[in-house]
Amino acid sequence: MESVIKLHNVSVSYLQSRKGIHSLKDFILKASFIAPFQKHRVLHHIDLDIKKGDSVGILGPNGSGKSTLLRTIAGIIHPEEGTLQTHVRISPLLALGAGIELELSGYENMRIALALSGNYSKATRTEMMEKVSDFAELTNEQLRMPTKMYSTGMLARLSFSSVMTANPELLMIDEVLAVGDRGFQKKCMNRIHEIIENGATLLFVSHSPGEVEEICKRGICLKDGKKIFDGTSTKAAVVYNKLFD
Amino acid sequence: MFKILAMLGNRKYIIFFLIYKNLQLKYKHSALGFLWSLLHPFLYLLIFLTIFSHAFPSIQNYPLYVLSGLVFWIYFSGGTSALCLVFIKNAFLIKSFNIPKTFYPLTELGGELISFLLGLIPFMVIMYFMGLHITLNLLYLIPVILLFSIFIFSVGLILGSLNVFFRDVGILWNTINPAMFYLSPIAYPANMVPERFKFIVQYNPLYHFLKIIRNVFYDGTAPSLHYMVNCLVITTVTALIAFLIYRKIRNGFISNL
Repeated sequence: MESVIKLHNVSVSYLQSRKGIHSLKDFILKASFIAPFQKHRVLHHIDLDIKKGDSVGILGPNGSGKSTLLRTIAGIIHPEEGTLQTHVRISPLLALGAGIELELSGYENMRIALALSGNYSKATRTEMMEKVSDFAELTNEQLRMPTKMYSTGMLARLSFSSVMTANPELLMIDEVLAVGDRGFQKKCMNRIHEIIENGATLLFVSHSPGEVEEICKRGICLKDGKKIFDGTSTKAAVVYNKLFD
Repeated sequence: MFKILAMLGNRKYIIFFLIYKNLQLKYKHSALGFLWSLLHPFLYLLIFLTIFSHAFPSIQNYPLYVLSGLVFWIYFSGGTSALCLVFIKNAFLIKSFNIPKTFYPLTELGGELISFLLGLIPFMVIMYFMGLHITLNLLYLIPVILLFSIFIFSVGLILGSLNVFFRDVGILWNTINPAMFYLSPIAYPANMVPERFKFIVQYNPLYHFLKIIRNVFYDGTAPSLHYMVNCLVITTVTALIAFLIYRKIRNGFISNL
């Protein structure tokens, strides 16, 4: 199988303001003109080779760099060191509340989400919109309402559906399944399986080893920005559970 | 340059929808919508016309003098304030979509520019009754507005980038912004300022822009070459500073938003 994502020795750092400086006032009072920012390394020398059609679960405690890893692959963050090669159409990262503008209606948000993810063209517009609203199970009336009136579950349905109905080559999911009700979760699981069967690649961040085992064949475990395990998802779940013993 | 244009071409829907989103958000929750944006300059105009109309006898046609300055001032002040918040406002989009971060300030200003141009139409009608000369010289508005927009974009990019790290930059700008209104010769003539304080006016970039704007609107001539060059230099330097600051700290945006 050909590699679609290849990370070689990738390290990522964030720029953080030193000494908790978040205002110009602090900046002047604490007189840190010389180096107001410091680098904080979040990912250390990650090597990763993901083949076409892989389904990879990413497990790890809070703050271990899971979301950062996804964002790096998505090209939202640039690695400080190392090389990243992607040979796949990148679709947006699916995270809770991503890109939802609360003042706008469901329809407007849908249109913007489709456009931003590069799935918008005049020809397919109506068809796509219909597919999305069908999948989200939101009524016409609900979709006309401003999304600030939505429940958390409805918001998740909306952002989820905008990505899921397009045929992504690479699906990246960052802990969003937990929000919808059981029915919607099931539907999403089915759709994820369908997408994988169509030959897409999946990167799935979760805190539930059970979900990872169910969806993914391969599992990766991160801790403090380092990859501590890469193997089958069953073994990854064991490693993950051991971290908390 | 060609690379940027090609990139813009590929993502024209993204640009279009981000501008659409900004305009929607701006006018969505008001019955009068766009008309509100005309109210602001109109109210100021009324105040200046009733209170100051006889205060500056040296200015012929004071209404036209004020209005031409006012309309552009509001574009500047609204544009920079909006750009100041642009990265914070779009934090969720920035964190989840792989699109160039410069698209956000670009489209934000795009929305502001559209409102400004739409607002310019009724105000040009008013200006016509105030004695605006309708000549081909008005075509000079195109380069003047373009240059002014690049200037606003650069100032806004500096503010917006710094505001990600230091959240009081926005608050500070809200204070400086009105102060700049009084420091710029919008409602009064520049030669009224006492000689020893003249430098304050002359070092104000807006002074130079107001000059070329009034050349077109008030004098009905082409912009003076001298001030046009000044504005070009001011814009280039500001854009360069903005670019350097933005490039230095853009990679830190994600962790600070």
